[in-house]
Amino acid sequence: MSVTGGRIALRRPAFSVAEAFGGFRLWWLVLPAFLFFLAFFLVPLVSLLAISFNKTVPGVVTLTTAFTLDNFERIFTRSIYYSSILRSIGIGIVVAAIALILGYPLAYLIAKTEHPGRNTLLMILVLSSMQLDMVIRMYGLMVLMGDTGLINSALIWAGLIHEPLPLMYNTFGVVVGLVQVTLPFMVLSLIGIIRAIHPSLEEAARSLGASRAEAFRKVVLPLSMPGILAGSLLVFALSISSYVVPALMGGWKVMVLPIHIYQQIAESGRWQFGAAVAAVLFVTSLIAVFVYHRAAVWTSGGRT
Amino acid sequence: MSDIRLVNLTKSYGEGNAVSEVNLEIGEGEFFSLLGPSGCGKSTTLRMIAGFIRPTSGQIFVGRDDITALPPERRDIGIVFQNYAIFPHMNVAENIAFGLKLRKMPKAEIARRVEAALKQVGLVGYDDRYQRQLSGGEQQRVALARVLVTEPRILLLDEPLSALDKGLREEMKFWIKDLQKKLRITTVYVTHDQDEALTMSDRIGVMSKSRIVQIGTPQDIYERPKTLFVTSFIGHSNVMDVTVARRDGDMVVVSLDGHEMSARGAADLQPGTQAKLVVRPENILMGAALGETGPRLAATVLSETYQGAIVRYRLKRGSQEIVAERQNQAHVERFAPGTEITIGWDPGWSEALTA
Repeated sequence: MSVTGGRIALRRPAFSVAEAFGGFRLWWLVLPAFLFFLAFFLVPLVSLLAISFNKTVPGVVTLTTAFTLDNFERIFTRSIYYSSILRSIGIGIVVAAIALILGYPLAYLIAKTEHPGRNTLLMILVLSSMQLDMVIRMYGLMVLMGDTGLINSALIWAGLIHEPLPLMYNTFGVVVGLVQVTLPFMVLSLIGIIRAIHPSLEEAARSLGASRAEAFRKVVLPLSMPGILAGSLLVFALSISSYVVPALMGGWKVMVLPIHIYQQIAESGRWQFGAAVAAVLFVTSLIAVFVYHRAAVWTSGGRT
Repeated sequence: MSDIRLVNLTKSYGEGNAVSEVNLEIGEGEFFSLLGPSGCGKSTTLRMIAGFIRPTSGQIFVGRDDITALPPERRDIGIVFQNYAIFPHMNVAENIAFGLKLRKMPKAEIARRVEAALKQVGLVGYDDRYQRQLSGGEQQRVALARVLVTEPRILLLDEPLSALDKGLREEMKFWIKDLQKKLRITTVYVTHDQDEALTMSDRIGVMSKSRIVQIGTPQDIYERPKTLFVTSFIGHSNVMDVTVARRDGDMVVVSLDGHEMSARGAADLQPGTQAKLVVRPENILMGAALGETGPRLAATVLSETYQGAIVRYRLKRGSQEIVAERQNQAHVERFAPGTEITIGWDPGWSEALTA
């Protein structure tokens, strides 16, 4: 017996971008955004990349046609620079992992809270932390985590330690700062995806014999992967490109790529070398996007 | 011996009850439907049996075991959802194997059972497909196969046909019923569709406002409704205001605008009280079809609607409109609008209910 038709809902409507934009005319609406993107993002970025292939001359910003790989050779042969690449990537991965572990339960709770009032309250909690300027939030953290900050003072007062714990001006401080900054982005990436997992899928798994943990591991978690990957990519990209957090929480002692870029350009006026470090940072982000894409294809089992 | 027993099952949310003191016994191999409008508590009852909702009070037994406190995974109860809940990240074979893998069955045995299940639901060769490549009917078959392959003690079906279009719904109705009969699996079916319930069930429990109002075979429910709600929810009915005159053995004599007539009636109908007389449209007899017994009433034909297999009449009797339906058979008598006719019904096919 053959059965046809009767397709059910719960499916994204298939429409092409061309149809949605009604042929060509609606493209005109996108033009301003495109021009803005071209003028204020693409042009500066390309010129920065171009200048990185010029010989470094302190104080000179003019692009010449005498291209050289000197700057890049220097980055990949001096340990102070290439170890910073690894440090940036390492911190990015650790921050993404911590944000995921902290953010997933929160996102799950918000996604499953049906009570409108409670849901709004939770969302406000997440979003409110994004309303404050990053510098102000970092100073707040410094009050908490400094040598004479709340944590160390309390522990010394309680007699648990005699010397203040090194909570700041090191990698630990930078990671804590970055997690604080990026956590809302992770949570927001996850909420929509988790909410889209129909509760009956979890229930079906349970009635087929899966415990709560098994149902989570075999159904909810795999179906959360698009959000997990997107959130991790976002947090990783924000972390490796952050200057304010490593500057304030790391006290210029944790040498990550943005710190080098700032030092080279703002302090030494070595635009060409700074641009080369920026190019390395940019390529690192692109590689992360590539890894994200591969992982997305792999975890979806070739369904997309 | 009953397979499922619900004892005073109640679920309250805040002030109101979603399910109130439901008592029910469902026999082994029985196809039992919970029928009612949305919000009547039928789905909540089903979800309590499945273990997704904890009852506020009352007990659920399967066989001799009290399963009220067991989590869903330890109940050995299979459920098919309205949206089928096919795992979108697994193909058909992996979906069906899901429950077997959890039971730590050897791989070869799983493969064998998955194949057998696919054959049973007529989806041989669908192993590698994903949910988005399946039609609604196919998804439903996968959902059934996924449940049946684990050989559950009880099968729960939560409005499984409501997402399908009409033609397919008719086909699946009989297909599911046949499969259930063949497997002799105790089944609880939740639906708001009277046709499904009447066609598929061994017995039906009609629910209204969190309570079960009548339990019976499809014939009982349709022909001997116990309340006005059951009458109006299942099929169409003509409801007439009458006064109870007296009891007459099993029957009751009622007065309709001074015409006395016999009807079936509940034992609690007191002489002198107001009651409702209920007659189905297909039991309104007209013209030459009138039998020996029963009332004779004058009526005027308001309209005649041709509907293919049946012809439907709107009639005016006194101040009330009455709907009559007749099979469109050979030599059937037809009545033009405006015609004055005599109507009546067999007393055994009229029901007096408490007003």
